[in-house]
Amino acid sequence: MSPPALQLRALAKTYGERTAVAGIDLDVAPGEILGLLGPNGAGKTTTISMACGVVTPTRGEVMIGGLSLARDPYGAKRRLGLVPQELALYEELSARANLAYFGALYGMSAAAIATRGDWVLGVVGLADRDREPVKRYSGGMKRRLNLACGLLHEPALLVLDEPTVGVDPQSRNHIFETVRALRTAGMTIVYTTHYMEEVEALCDRVAIMDAGRLIALGTVRELIAQHAGRGLAIEITGDVAAAEVAAAAHADVRREGATLHATPHAGLGALVSAIEATGATITRIESRQATLEAAFLALTGHALRDDDAPAPPTSKAATP
Amino acid sequence: MIAAAIWKDMQLLLRDRGTLISLFALPIVFIVAFGAMFSGGGTSPDVPRPIAIWHPTPSPAGEVVERALAATPGFTPQPLASADAVRAAVAAGTVDAGLVIAADVDPAHGHPVELAIDLAAPIQVRAPLTGALTAVVTRALGAPVGAELVYLEARQPPGIRKPLPDISGFQITVPGNAVLFGFYIALTVAMSFAGERRTGTWRRLLAAPVPRWKVMLATLVPYYVIGLIQLTFLFGLGASLFGMRVAGSIPALVVLSMCVVLCAVCLGLLFASLGGTEKQLGSVGSVCLLVMGLLGGCMVPRLLMPDTMRSIGHIVPHSWALDGYYDLLVREGTGFSDIAPSLGALAGFAALFALIGLRRFRFET
Repeated sequence: MSPPALQLRALAKTYGERTAVAGIDLDVAPGEILGLLGPNGAGKTTTISMACGVVTPTRGEVMIGGLSLARDPYGAKRRLGLVPQELALYEELSARANLAYFGALYGMSAAAIATRGDWVLGVVGLADRDREPVKRYSGGMKRRLNLACGLLHEPALLVLDEPTVGVDPQSRNHIFETVRALRTAGMTIVYTTHYMEEVEALCDRVAIMDAGRLIALGTVRELIAQHAGRGLAIEITGDVAAAEVAAAAHADVRREGATLHATPHAGLGALVSAIEATGATITRIESRQATLEAAFLALTGHALRDDDAPAPPTSKAATP
Repeated sequence: MIAAAIWKDMQLLLRDRGTLISLFALPIVFIVAFGAMFSGGGTSPDVPRPIAIWHPTPSPAGEVVERALAATPGFTPQPLASADAVRAAVAAGTVDAGLVIAADVDPAHGHPVELAIDLAAPIQVRAPLTGALTAVVTRALGAPVGAELVYLEARQPPGIRKPLPDISGFQITVPGNAVLFGFYIALTVAMSFAGERRTGTWRRLLAAPVPRWKVMLATLVPYYVIGLIQLTFLFGLGASLFGMRVAGSIPALVVLSMCVVLCAVCLGLLFASLGGTEKQLGSVGSVCLLVMGLLGGCMVPRLLMPDTMRSIGHIVPHSWALDGYYDLLVREGTGFSDIAPSLGALAGFAALFALIGLRRFRFET
């Protein structure tokens, strides 16, 4: 049986007093696309950076294809391709020149870079513009070349950090198709994104991070069923704070103005009775749509794209 | 609207340390530095310049000259034990000039006073000193009206290499500017690190299966090569277009240039280790390099500076580089041994910059 493409064991990173990643255990199976979701500051990029050897963990271990990143860093890194969130390219150089440099870092010969470069530029649809300076490319083309640079050395594991930020729909579709084709070819992919629909469309499993911890892991369907299926929005008039306290005995509750977002532990009746017993009046009950976004919201208390906004007050922490 | 724009730009300016330094601190530094260079700064008229002197005892002519020298504002005689001691003091640079009044001194019969002075020193240094001392000696020995006698004969003391004949100004300006702008590679190095971090290529490099020391070398070595090409170009241009000549050893010139570029690249590593954006590095770094160039004598030769400023110049590698280049370009027959202090100092600066840079440098941000 082949080892997991990526294994993280008790992986943690602290910067002084601040904990960026608080001990993560995660296995990514060969050939799988794993989506990594989390609000800003959740620790996704730090986790990826540790997995790629860009950041040294404070503790814990990273194994890539069964090789320890700490004990055999160069062997492990050869199996890995990183596509950073930034456009990690030399814009004054051509696509070919960029590939030549990044290929040389992986010890590839000039002939291998040329042959593999033909393939990879064809995959990302840049074969006919390969001699132009990258600065003349559109944002989408640069994103595609960014992906090509990560693929050049034929990694078994590809880490994509927000690969579609700021791209046009055409380039986004192209990247989607490329990712699917790579998975079909047997490549393992770790995919971080802010776009929920990308995760739903591409990923076999989703790992959700918040505050440096892995708080949920499963398929999209499992996460929705576990965390978004029974969500209610209950509009209250009267003493909302008292109603929230009463409701917390029967549901996971989060208050937003005069609305309680609740996931009942059991039936709806007990929850409604508890709220009404406080003297508050329920003016409307709305069933939340069972989406990954709802699951994410239930788990983290953050909207995924609600950059840096503080989480609304929660009466009870959600658990995976 | 205009007022709002002014207020906005004032706030931006107050947060931009580099621009603040360029606009307000740099002029002050230049005012102070140039002021010190051209107004005495350390060798004020109250501190007369010592002139080594020897004459046999008794020697009426020697005693007259010594008294005349003591009576001349700006000079003070420094009697030494022998003629050779005077020449050695000049060769060692402890005094700028010395007078040797032999027992048979007699300008009327072709035996002038010997002026021991570095004939390879810039004309701007030599000429005023020679002129003033000639006047002192001529008056002291009572030159007859209308006589065209040689009272003072300038000679190169042993231990100092002779200069090339017909030294042109380019012998000084080419190395001065080559060193000034050669050190700007430090800024390019630092901005390159910052650029790699900004664009994310740094993350890609760190994720590649290469040791971090190689990642660093891969960033530094290209600039070392570029720095060598730059100096080769500038000296080549100086030689082919401006008639600059090399009086000493060309291999020594090559090694000196290699040390200069090494020092500049290590300084770049030190700048890079301080962090900051490309813009911050650009403004603060260029100010630093300008001040270093100024103190090191790239714009005004240090030999024209007062003693204090000359000594201060030694705190920057530019001065050592220029001392070495000056010897190799101006003094005949100079080689490795003559520029050993410069090579040693530049290697020391390079090691210091590299050590601090490596200790402070953070691969991970």
